[in-house]
Amino acid sequence: MTELITLKFKLNGVGRAVAVEPQTMLADLLREQLGQTDVRVSCDQGVCGVCTVLVDGTPTTACLTPAFLVADREVTTVKGLSGNATGLTDVQQAFIACSAFQCGYCTPGMVLSATALLAEDPSPDRQAIRDWLDANICRCTGYQTIIEAIELVAAQRRTRSLAAAAEAEAAD
Amino acid sequence: MPDSQRQNLKLNDRARQDALDKVSGEGPFAGDITLPGMLEARLLRSPHAHARIVAIDTTRAEAVEGVHLIATGRDLGLLKRTTYGNWVHDQPVICTDRVRFEGDVVAAVVAVDEVTAFRAMELIHVSYQLLPPVMDIREARSDRAPEIFDRKHPNIPMKLGRNTRTANEPAKNVLFSYDFEDGDIDAVEARAAHVFTDRFHFSRIGHFYMEPWICIAQQLTDRIELWSCNQDPFVLRQDLSEMFGLPEGHFRVRTAYIGGGFGGKSYCKHEPLAVLLAMLANAPVRLLMTLDESMLTLSQHDGDLVLTTSVDAEGRLLSRRTEIDLNGGAYADASAQVGARAAYRSSGPYRWQAYHAHSRVIRTTTIPAGSYRGMGGTQASFASESQIDMIARRIGMDPVAFRRLNLIPPGEPFKVGDSNVDADFAEGLDRVVSDLQHTAVPPGGPFASGKGFAIGLKDGGSFGRLGKATVKVTTDGRVLVLCGAIEIGQGATTVISGLVADVLKVPREWVRYAAIDTDVTPFDQGTHASCATTLTGNAVWRAAQKLRAEILDLAAGELDCDAADLDLHEWKVTGAGHRLDLEQLVRKKFGRFGFELSADGFVQYPKEPDAPFGARHLYWMPHWVGVSLRVDTETGEILVHDLVTGVDAGHTLHGGGVRGQDEGGSLVALAQTLFEEITYDEEDALAVPTPLDYRVARASDLPDRYRSFILEQGMGPGPMGAKGVGEAGMLGVAAAVANAIHDATGVRMTDLPFTPQKVLAALDAARETNGD
Repeated sequence: MTELITLKFKLNGVGRAVAVEPQTMLADLLREQLGQTDVRVSCDQGVCGVCTVLVDGTPTTACLTPAFLVADREVTTVKGLSGNATGLTDVQQAFIACSAFQCGYCTPGMVLSATALLAEDPSPDRQAIRDWLDANICRCTGYQTIIEAIELVAAQRRTRSLAAAAEAEAAD
Repeated sequence: MPDSQRQNLKLNDRARQDALDKVSGEGPFAGDITLPGMLEARLLRSPHAHARIVAIDTTRAEAVEGVHLIATGRDLGLLKRTTYGNWVHDQPVICTDRVRFEGDVVAAVVAVDEVTAFRAMELIHVSYQLLPPVMDIREARSDRAPEIFDRKHPNIPMKLGRNTRTANEPAKNVLFSYDFEDGDIDAVEARAAHVFTDRFHFSRIGHFYMEPWICIAQQLTDRIELWSCNQDPFVLRQDLSEMFGLPEGHFRVRTAYIGGGFGGKSYCKHEPLAVLLAMLANAPVRLLMTLDESMLTLSQHDGDLVLTTSVDAEGRLLSRRTEIDLNGGAYADASAQVGARAAYRSSGPYRWQAYHAHSRVIRTTTIPAGSYRGMGGTQASFASESQIDMIARRIGMDPVAFRRLNLIPPGEPFKVGDSNVDADFAEGLDRVVSDLQHTAVPPGGPFASGKGFAIGLKDGGSFGRLGKATVKVTTDGRVLVLCGAIEIGQGATTVISGLVADVLKVPREWVRYAAIDTDVTPFDQGTHASCATTLTGNAVWRAAQKLRAEILDLAAGELDCDAADLDLHEWKVTGAGHRLDLEQLVRKKFGRFGFELSADGFVQYPKEPDAPFGARHLYWMPHWVGVSLRVDTETGEILVHDLVTGVDAGHTLHGGGVRGQDEGGSLVALAQTLFEEITYDEEDALAVPTPLDYRVARASDLPDRYRSFILEQGMGPGPMGAKGVGEAGMLGVAAAVANAIHDATGVRMTDLPFTPQKVLAALDAARETNGD
């Protein structure tokens, strides 16, 4: 019997302590062991991006990441995005507004990937979005609605921050 | 997701019905379902294209701790019929004596978990005696090719209509043949000004749906329950019933969301095996494939298409002869339908004085081919719209003007006995021509630029289809719609729930689409041929209207007035000076526990022997495409500069859904046109066995500019003139690109995909001919 590795990490803001085999992949830990079914697996080879989760905010292919690597780190799945049980983030709302999904199988990974992109680059141009999304395959949409959803969020955030700046100025 | 949450989000009309389940990761998909004590089944597959199974030794594998059972071809005793397939039952649940493609199922391991199953699988020893592989359709028809099957199979003859003959397994390595002959073609050709014969080769791609194939089966005390990713639960139930010799009601098939299918999850696949394993193990069994294996389950048909087309001196199309050989792979699946439809559809959107079409589906020792979005229409549209362009250029006509001259106008039958064309092909053609942005590159450099157009076309199915639905409203006014259209990504639940909300005049978020369960869902023939909007849509539309009428009748009885004077809005009955709340009405009439008011809707399109397919086609689904591109004449690379595509939704029920179907399909078609392909190497091994090797379109493969448009020509058979669009996107792209390459370079590409190597070779050949 292989010796189990015990590790602690945060999953969607909640501390978890688990024991895994050294070869257990993060996707299997989350999905099979912890019942986090919003982490879906498709190619299982690190090609399609469906199983993308955020590890300390960085998009990570859960099917190819050994589970022990997330020790003492923070893992976010799509269900952990909003931070509360009922709300959706602006990225998720934009995916709805733009019909940026069809079968929905790639959507959790796509939403997380888009979230990470906007955290890194608040105003990505179309080329930057395309390049970033190359990590996630969607066989249904043709990607354009996804790109538009990301552009919509970027524009909304710009408008909001401009409004906030104007308000701050007015308050001065 | 709780109801309160759905309300809080105030979904607007643009939000899809399944939006929250999908953006929140909720699902469920079948893979999210875990049953207590569920075992994992995994499949051992043949590494050889063609071989005899000499012996299988499972002793060592069975000894592995955690292995429940290993099933091979010797363990099929519970099955009355051990093979499946559409029309021809030739695919074994597990191979018994012979494997016929790399990936054929040789054994199944059932174990406590996946790791154990894989470990055990490595210990199964199979001795094979290799047989000569048959890797393509030309080889399969040659004298030296071996017979892939020694005998004919139980089958169902495909009975079509006027001027049509079909045959199952008519000759060596031929699965199916189809002949359609309309008009005295020799006489018509004799008076033609020109007769042109051109050959095309269509490639083959995989479905590559993102949710790998899955089936969970469990043996209950007196029945079998399945969770399936199959888009045809009732068809599947029937197959299971026949194969196990048990009543249909013995099987309960449930369907969650399906993570894409594109044809690959239609009809019976490995579900009988999952059921068999669950029966043998007497425990819930999950048969879950990897994406590699899903690619081995089914593919599109590659094939050779030869078109001989005659035209008069004024540029009027007169006749066409179509000869098609499709690669059906190792087993039948739905190849017969694809063969028949590819042939019939190769006449395109044009008028003919005579049209003859012959097609054959040829067996090879490769991945079985079957339903693929476009269903033969993709192959047909590529060849037909390429040749139309070639002929126009040969007779000195503008390809667009040549098309306009020959299009079937709306209201005219597609062919004698078939339905009238319900699309204005010319309007869409004008639109792509005006929308396309084409900038010619200056001469002198390595780039040549060109533009091309195409009108892809397929029908919306026939075969006397039907739809059935129930709409019910709970005492508190929430609506449940029950029907068998499966949500596979196409937006069926959105369209159907929206129709119900509109008829009943309630907010869309009050309507819930009931889970699919063959025990309770009204019968359905399968989510096929882009028909959810028309067939199921009409049934739902009728059910909702009936329900509304019944509610108004109930209120009229209570108020002692005429129902015609009453209106219903958000369950408030008003009119004739009255105002009545439905909930009060229901409780008054039915007591304090209330009632569920409900109504059924049904629609059936009749069989008609005078129609070439034995029933008129439900509607016509054009795909208009314009492409502007540059060819790098030094490397052979194609750079698509502008892509315009359009569909006719008849009447748009959900704009985002229609657009997504067109754009998603079109990008897959563009990938197939430029690079995506299933190929085998010199050793007859799959050259693209994993998603690592198999290239599909990613976001950066989008053209520089891509715009899609939706026409609402209002002539569809669905509610308010709506029609389906789901397969359109596959149809027109390849020909439009070929036509644009020709426009740019004078070189005609007829062999998909148009890889840089092939384009460069064609350019070099042309340069040689021209003596450069």
